[in-house]
Amino acid sequence: MLHYHEPDRDYGTPAPAATANTVSLVVDAVAVSVPEGTSVLRAAALAGINIPKLCASDNLEAFGSCRLCAVQIEGKRGYPASCTTPVEDGMQVSTQTEPVARLRRNIMELYISDHPLDCLTCPANGDCELQDMAGVVGLREVRYGFEGANHLQAEKDESNPYFTFDSSKCIVCSRCVRACEEVQGTFALTIDGRGFDSKVAAGDNESFMDSECVSCGACVQTCPTATLMEKSVIDAGQPEHSVVTTCAYCGVGCSFEAQMQGDQVVRMVPYKGGAANHGHSCVKGRFAFGYATHRDRLRTPMIREAIDQPWQAVSWEEAIAFAADRLRAIQQRHGRESIGGITSSRCTNEETYLVQKLVRAAFGNNNTDTCARVCHSPTGYGLKATLGESAGTQTFDSVMQADVIVVIGANPTDAHPVFASQLRRRLRQGAELIVIDPRRIDLLHTPHRHKALHLPLRPGTNVAMINALAHVVVNEGLEDSAFIASRCETEAYQRWRAFISEPCHSPEALESATGVAADAVREAARAYGRARNGAIYYGLGVTEHSQGSTMVMGIANLALATGNIGREGVGVNPLRGQNNVQGSCDMGSFPHELPGYQHVSDATARGRFEADWGVKIDDEPGLRIPNMFDAAISGSFKGLYVQGEDIAQSDPNTSHVEAALGALECLIVQDIFLNETAKYAHVLLPGSTFLEKNGTFTNAERRINRVRKVMAPLAGKEDWEVTVDLANALGYPMDYSHPAEIMDEIARLTPSFAGVSYAKLDNLGSIQWPCNDAYPEGMPIMHEREFPIGLGKFAITEYVATSERTNRKYPLLLTTGRILSQYNVGAQTRRTANQTWHDEDVIELHPHDAETRGVKDGDWLGISSRAGHTVLRARVNDRMLPGVVYTTFHHPGSGANVITTDSSDWATNCPEYKVTAVQVEKVSQPSSWQQKFKAFDRQQTTLLQKGRRPAPEVSEG
Amino acid sequence: MNGELQHLIAMANQIAANLRPAAADDAAAAELVAKHIRLFWARSMKAQIIDYVQTDGTELNQVVKLAVVRVGIGSLTDLTNLEATCQK
Repeated sequence: MLHYHEPDRDYGTPAPAATANTVSLVVDAVAVSVPEGTSVLRAAALAGINIPKLCASDNLEAFGSCRLCAVQIEGKRGYPASCTTPVEDGMQVSTQTEPVARLRRNIMELYISDHPLDCLTCPANGDCELQDMAGVVGLREVRYGFEGANHLQAEKDESNPYFTFDSSKCIVCSRCVRACEEVQGTFALTIDGRGFDSKVAAGDNESFMDSECVSCGACVQTCPTATLMEKSVIDAGQPEHSVVTTCAYCGVGCSFEAQMQGDQVVRMVPYKGGAANHGHSCVKGRFAFGYATHRDRLRTPMIREAIDQPWQAVSWEEAIAFAADRLRAIQQRHGRESIGGITSSRCTNEETYLVQKLVRAAFGNNNTDTCARVCHSPTGYGLKATLGESAGTQTFDSVMQADVIVVIGANPTDAHPVFASQLRRRLRQGAELIVIDPRRIDLLHTPHRHKALHLPLRPGTNVAMINALAHVVVNEGLEDSAFIASRCETEAYQRWRAFISEPCHSPEALESATGVAADAVREAARAYGRARNGAIYYGLGVTEHSQGSTMVMGIANLALATGNIGREGVGVNPLRGQNNVQGSCDMGSFPHELPGYQHVSDATARGRFEADWGVKIDDEPGLRIPNMFDAAISGSFKGLYVQGEDIAQSDPNTSHVEAALGALECLIVQDIFLNETAKYAHVLLPGSTFLEKNGTFTNAERRINRVRKVMAPLAGKEDWEVTVDLANALGYPMDYSHPAEIMDEIARLTPSFAGVSYAKLDNLGSIQWPCNDAYPEGMPIMHEREFPIGLGKFAITEYVATSERTNRKYPLLLTTGRILSQYNVGAQTRRTANQTWHDEDVIELHPHDAETRGVKDGDWLGISSRAGHTVLRARVNDRMLPGVVYTTFHHPGSGANVITTDSSDWATNCPEYKVTAVQVEKVSQPSSWQQKFKAFDRQQTTLLQKGRRPAPEVSEG
Repeated sequence: MNGELQHLIAMANQIAANLRPAAADDAAAAELVAKHIRLFWARSMKAQIIDYVQTDGTELNQVVKLAVVRVGIGSLTDLTNLEATCQK
């Protein structure tokens, strides 16, 4: 097994809550001291003694149902289950006495008497705890026979595309039920019936697919038999080695074991040692990896003169030379600033770093940007201005210390599901929830949660809301004066205090803007202001607005005013959308900043890069993505290198983007598929998936995690190698033999990464930056003693209403978002069985709006905005406010971004995806854009097929 | 007027609308706007807005007009203390 860390070990029961008290006991003559509250089972495991068990697992509370872990304890009667027995001082435990052994054999005999004896052909063969325990207890006979009533003919549920439920193999240990409750927090499974009739059931005796199951796979992972089993393992057999790596989906950055047979991934199992996910995962990370070997993968470089011509498959050398010649020719004709590059939040830190280096050093300008432009650029601006660093302040684990949790403009159960499970656990423990969102998100439906408040504000009024909350904090004496006095800049604070105290910022004054009752706002402000620990989590519902940056500063103001910064359980936590949004920002992707958020005008920082790179670097910022589009249309921007990004689908006002891409003389796209952007390209460079390369991702908690190659790149090169080739072809030498060397360069030039190396990452598992001489192992909680700018700085946050407003022609507000099973533009997840859950984008509208327009569920609706028109199927849903409609953008043909507009954040140009004034009406045919899209898609797919070499047959997932 | 310039005008006015409340008067606000444009706008964008102010400027609000004349193109200087001196 190619483990890079200690393999997962199961200690039987969870570690108890932190305590200073230690208890000493003796287990089988081995003395052991453990924290008070530890189970005997866990204490024995810590002493290296493995007591047999079936229903116990250290990610689940002790249950005591299988009784296999029975032991004898001196002075106690009978055979207590060691999983439910807490240790006591001086306890003498015997785990291997003859009576205990006899008891265990009897238990196993009963289990096996109702279990198929098909071990050799069972998919769990080699990975079955029941089989292991039968061996451990020395089971040699089953005296009861199989003639009596049993469950051997129980029906299989194969409805889920990724796993089967074979009830005939179930031992009713309840691990799956408890995993669904305790680990995932969904409560989709239950034990139905009593006694002999007891069985695991999904929902109200439905199939797994029809139930509330979210396919996170926690039940599959914990099942000790073949009852819940991955179909990929049933097909391929047990893996023979595994490699620990990092998921390439959302910003949670889950660690996984890629379990392999040779170079084939058999399954992805969440890695227990992963500090972000602690062994949990979601339907995307665990199951949706089949896209890596999908037949649509690009396997050879291709070039063409114009976008109406067929692609021509060429060698890497020819493609790179073609691209370099084109770029140089454009610069000669149109100037140094006529070309640029876009880095990807899906690629590694090292790849992103190289692309911006290529732009600055080889292109000779700062026209580099990243897809974070369209999601979290306001986070960078707002947090740097107030707290001094463009990053979230906490660990994910910090939420377990929070007493009041405020979720603003985020939908964690869909977009950050593994963190959402942890958050839900904290809500079940008693934390209070405040949701500020136009939609009633699923977090509000958390089973067994405690108090929750929903402030369903009108889209576009975030700043009014945050000002109203801060107004209450200030005017009702809820400020943390000591924190403000010692940690914040006095002058800025006093200015802000005078500003926010004005009556115009009161909840009553802003009620007509936000649409939320003043009483509810006051109640929320009091709850957060009085909390021992108040934590704010936010998403794109904060940033993707015309005042995204202002809102981020407003959030920071509120946290500073209440002293909710600089310790466990508090903080300002941006939930990053894609896997490496934080990293792509850290790596200098923005046109005004070198790696580590060092402004290009900073002569000292720039000088370090110039000395290391051997070139002069422009001291003026370059073009941002929307500026590139404008410049392309007006004719001054002619060449673009796009790595791993699909701007044609993800960026707003599609017609405008298409016009810009169509105006380029040379578009170079490096991607794993022919995405929408690639259809406008002249050079196609095949990309590699996260399974095919080495590198690092940085998640939403600043955690740098290793990405490890488990299979060879399908087209022969890792993405960073392609950028190196392009730089060399342009005459700027790059010479790296491994991404570890790129990280060494990053560490050399970026103060916050100074102590990061692959060796340290392998040793520690992960590192949360900053990592330097002062914090050699990183910094889990930021701003504990001081801010990078010394004192925290309050900012003036005047509410300025967006210019994107409703009127008689466009009376509804459209807001866009994501759903659990699909990821971003869907290029990956649409090529997996995740399509089963969401094979088209729909427009959700409130029953009131549906009724006034005569709309029923399933009707085709035309959606018109000031930017364009598209058609989607209607779903009537009261999750939204009346007057608000919602859709996703996972399918390119939906044209969701045909209707979003050019309106953007004032400070960063982050598009205002969350507010578009629209009208909807029943229609009978696709929009003209959709018809044009379909024809163009057909044309481009045909042109690709003409140039493509025949692909070898590969399996799909 | 091309679309690029129209966007730049809208952006500049939007920046001014958001920064004006943080400043004591139009002149101080103009300093903040100028700083923002210096730090975040590309050379070609600055050139276009400067040219527009010099040739027309009617669609820009007063703060932006004051700001644009302060936006130099060329080497950026240390701007770290500018904001503090401009605010209320």
